Amino acid sequence: MIRFENVKKKYGNTVILDNLSFNIEPGEFVVLIGPSGCGKTTTLKSINRLIKPDQGKIFVNGQEISQVNPVKLRRKIGYVIQQIGLFPNMTIEQNIGVVPKRLKYEKKEIQKITRDLMEMVDMSFEEYAHKYPSELSGGQQQRIGVLRALAASPPIVLMDEPFGALDPMTRATLQKEIGKLHKKLNKTIVFVTHDMNEALDLADKIIFMEQGKIVQMATPEEMLANPASPLIRDFMRKSSLATDPLNLTAADFMSANVISVQKKKSIRECTDIMARQHIDSLVIKNEDETYAGVVTIKDIKKHGKSSGTIGEIEPYQNITSDILENAKDSFDKLYNSGDNYVVVLNNDQTVAGIISKTSMATAMADTLWGDMQ
Amino acid sequence: MDASIILEHLYLVVMTVIFSVVVGLPIGVLAYLKPAGRKIVLWSVEILQTIPALALLGLIIIALGPGKMTVISGLVLYSLLPIVHNTCVGLENVDNGIKEAGKGMGLTQLDRLISVEIPLAFPMIFTGIRIATVTTVGVAVFATSVGGGGLGKIIYQGIRTQNINLIVSGTVSLMIMAVLFDVLMIWINRRLAKGAHNKAF
Repeated sequence: MIRFENVKKKYGNTVILDNLSFNIEPGEFVVLIGPSGCGKTTTLKSINRLIKPDQGKIFVNGQEISQVNPVKLRRKIGYVIQQIGLFPNMTIEQNIGVVPKRLKYEKKEIQKITRDLMEMVDMSFEEYAHKYPSELSGGQQQRIGVLRALAASPPIVLMDEPFGALDPMTRATLQKEIGKLHKKLNKTIVFVTHDMNEALDLADKIIFMEQGKIVQMATPEEMLANPASPLIRDFMRKSSLATDPLNLTAADFMSANVISVQKKKSIRECTDIMARQHIDSLVIKNEDETYAGVVTIKDIKKHGKSSGTIGEIEPYQNITSDILENAKDSFDKLYNSGDNYVVVLNNDQTVAGIISKTSMATAMADTLWGDMQ
Repeated sequence: MDASIILEHLYLVVMTVIFSVVVGLPIGVLAYLKPAGRKIVLWSVEILQTIPALALLGLIIIALGPGKMTVISGLVLYSLLPIVHNTCVGLENVDNGIKEAGKGMGLTQLDRLISVEIPLAFPMIFTGIRIATVTTVGVAVFATSVGGGGLGKIIYQGIRTQNINLIVSGTVSLMIMAVLFDVLMIWINRRLAKGAHNKAF
């Protein structure tokens, strides 16, 4: 459907596309992803001739596109951009009908197309068709942007970070909708994003680019299993954490490096450990390794004797959290309980780790800036 | 003071504005379309504006001989700046996303201009026309010196005969005319914008 053959593009001395060759099959949902400046948008815009490569050939539907009139070419390729770009002086119906009108479709047909398309994204024709873009929310506007690109049923649709400017909730909804539309209409879609989650969700095939070259072209499953470079692995990990805070669990924020002792340990040994580790409390475990409670240095002083085992001291029932618990709930516990940390327990009640303010800060920094270790 | 003199002045103003729009709008559009020539075009119309009106009319007299057409051509040259400038800048200011969407969907350049860019730039273009109109009311006073007539005649007459009444009545008429044009055109522009606004909200 779309084939690049040794395509090169330079701006001054900067190489944007470095001998790019690839092939996109009909009906495929292909996502171009990579760090900014990797050439993904340039690649996309070369397909509808908004950018002209210096060398190499691009074929669309078997035709070498430099031989095709750009206006004719573009009318057969849908185009959706991040800035949406609806025409503010036209109604929604007129916007959707822009290309069909220029292809000399009949008025009635254009209206039917508009109605059908709007139905597909659950927007009432009666309510919205005669409104102007400024009357719609950002999400609704971009829905119309997508419909406008589909109106003349082009076999190919290009999307340049179409959901990049939308809030996360709206973005998620539109991602679902575009996935559905793709399945229903069987278009070849080329989609640029820098959001790996979006790529993994939507793509049949992901093309990861860096410095004008393809680092890896693979299915999402394959890319997840065998990322071809550390950068790709980084991209996947960072975006999976950074873009989906709702799915983080206590495990993501705990420090597994917790110092715990069994009840049979002597009090003397315990105070030694605390002194050496510069901590003022210990997590106490039962014989079967399950969580029993916490003993602080104050509790030991109160107990008075340094002989005997730590199990003789009634442990304090520190706040706990299940390892799969939502991270936010664990934070709430940490802040509301007044305890210095939350003890995270595995399913079998053994100790998995603790969440302290420090471990939380470290985990957040990891999420934002990559691995701190 | 004769009403025909006021009409004569109005005639000069209206004809000047019509010709300025006919000439200035395409120049503004061309300047927008050809960034290479844009600086030269804008610079040229600015230079025209800096030539004293009287001198400009004098130069045109030498070329065309005295008469109304001479006056109107001089005034047209003089009022090009706001129209060309506002057309070019107005079109440039249309949101890039809108322009790119239009291009990417396969609209030709002419189609984009007519269907999208000029309608969106129109309030600014119309402001340019309004400024040109109001300026022309004043500058057209010089018409009389090259045989064009209008309210300038009254004022010159007043100066020659040291008749304060004549000077004042000519001047006040000019001021009223300028203010009326200004208010009327602001109102029209607002109505147009409001029309779009009503449609939009």
